[in-house]
Amino acid sequence: MIINNITFFSLVKREVARFSKVAIQTIFAPLISTGLYLIIFSYSFQNREVAGYGIPYIDFIVPGLIMMSLIQNSFANTSSSLIGAKYNGIIIDFLLAPFSYIELTLGFMIGGMVRGLVVGSVTYLVATFFYGGAVAYPFLALFYAILVSSIFSLFGIVAGLWAEKFDHVSIFSNFFITPLTFLSGVFYSVKGLPGIWSEVSLFNPVFYMVDAVRFAFIGQSDMAPAFSALIIGSLAVILLLVVTYLFKIGYKVKS
Amino acid sequence: MSTAIKIRGINKSYGNLQALDDINLEIEKGEFFGLLGPNGAGKSTLIGILGGLVHKDSGKITVLGNDIISDYRETKKSLGIVPQEITFDPYFTVRETLDMYSGYFGIKNNTDKINELLEALSLTDKAEIGPRQLSGGMKRRLLIAKALVHDPEIIVLDEPTAGVDVELRNSLWEYVIQLNKEGKTIILTTHYLEEAEALCDRIAIMNKGKIVKVDSKENLINSIDKKIIKLKFADLAHGLEEELIEIDFKLNDDQRQIEIETAKQDLDKILRKINDLNLDIVDIDIESAKLEDVFIKLTNLGGDDN
Repeated sequence: MIINNITFFSLVKREVARFSKVAIQTIFAPLISTGLYLIIFSYSFQNREVAGYGIPYIDFIVPGLIMMSLIQNSFANTSSSLIGAKYNGIIIDFLLAPFSYIELTLGFMIGGMVRGLVVGSVTYLVATFFYGGAVAYPFLALFYAILVSSIFSLFGIVAGLWAEKFDHVSIFSNFFITPLTFLSGVFYSVKGLPGIWSEVSLFNPVFYMVDAVRFAFIGQSDMAPAFSALIIGSLAVILLLVVTYLFKIGYKVKS
Repeated sequence: MSTAIKIRGINKSYGNLQALDDINLEIEKGEFFGLLGPNGAGKSTLIGILGGLVHKDSGKITVLGNDIISDYRETKKSLGIVPQEITFDPYFTVRETLDMYSGYFGIKNNTDKINELLEALSLTDKAEIGPRQLSGGMKRRLLIAKALVHDPEIIVLDEPTAGVDVELRNSLWEYVIQLNKEGKTIILTTHYLEEAEALCDRIAIMNKGKIVKVDSKENLINSIDKKIIKLKFADLAHGLEEELIEIDFKLNDDQRQIEIETAKQDLDKILRKINDLNLDIVDIDIESAKLEDVFIKLTNLGGDDN
């Protein structure tokens, strides 16, 4: 049996309870920065439309901001949980208990997804005060949100397993997540970038995530939605396999 | 008696260091088994492999007949390992920790067992507080409670009393003895040899990654041919050097007591000689070898290597 329900859900429960106990830091603090973006951009560009889209700028950036919150929080949850467990020594609890590799992978991943989706949802609720709250394809938006949160939860697991101290996690966060997110077209249309930069953006996987969610929100996107979905889905599957393998070999947790 | 743990040909190396070298061992169900050895002997590595914390290079371990790799779910449910290092999850109270840990082992609604453990380990009044607020000894007790929360058949205690005060040590041993009487297999590693001597039925002594001896406690102690005779005289024991010229003895500072270390076969001869002295003896004590003597001999800690 690959998954024992009680064992598996205990890990999910632990992961959710862990961030819920420090909700001010994990859920409400991220809203402050997103809220500030919304205030600043809605005020600064209140009369501006996005070239090629024909919609107000605030409508354009909301899907990207939601994605940004979701990405950062999914990643933060799993990476901090694992590096914290290593730091406190309780990583051995997960090794001594009868978890299968897939249970560890999915248990940590779902914990990160829940946090990402909660913060993303609250960000959306806050954003409704600024743009009205319309979503062209709500189920598609939810589907992408689930997929993207799984990707960054899994990426957080990789970072948490690899890291030997908290500093190492911030390397991932500062040198990968933040630049890739800011350069993914959250704040601008990649189509409008000059010269080669438009093509360089196509190598940024976060671009496809933001673009796909934007399509679900406003019905328009830089790329064909099916192609973005293919990229996102493939990335999720690859990371799922990688993380399961890392747990199987006990990467950096077993000697 | 059937086998609780069977270890066959276990090897483990870290680079050039052979941490475990062809370890073979069988521990019977219901035993109170001691695993002793100096620092770096390989005890914790062996326990780590048993618990799935360390990869083995080769060999096979079965727990109650189940392989620790292919049947890991079953073997992990049979084992309750108390690790040497004190660890705790700062986010959860003592009760939440135990409840969560029960869930990890597939147990729902484990309140009765948790209450029993809290009571037995004197943690009931600390159940609702976070582990950061616990003293070192209490954190150690929480570790023990975690290892027992799924009611394992085999309990492995890796240095459970390191840095723990005498009162807790005694109450802990009372509880562990009770568990052993109920049929649980106990495996103990400790630096306190007197604890192992008092508690264990059978002992394996490890040194430099090898098991150098496995035997019953009595056989191990009897393997050392040593008796210490302690005599206390009514008067000052001057001039004994001439009378006991063939016997190597130590005169205590008060000049009234002597200590003679001898082989068992010479015991009768020495006692007759002392009797011939016609001194008033007020107290006599004959001690046998201790586990510590066996330990020192087998690990060569007192020998030329050191």
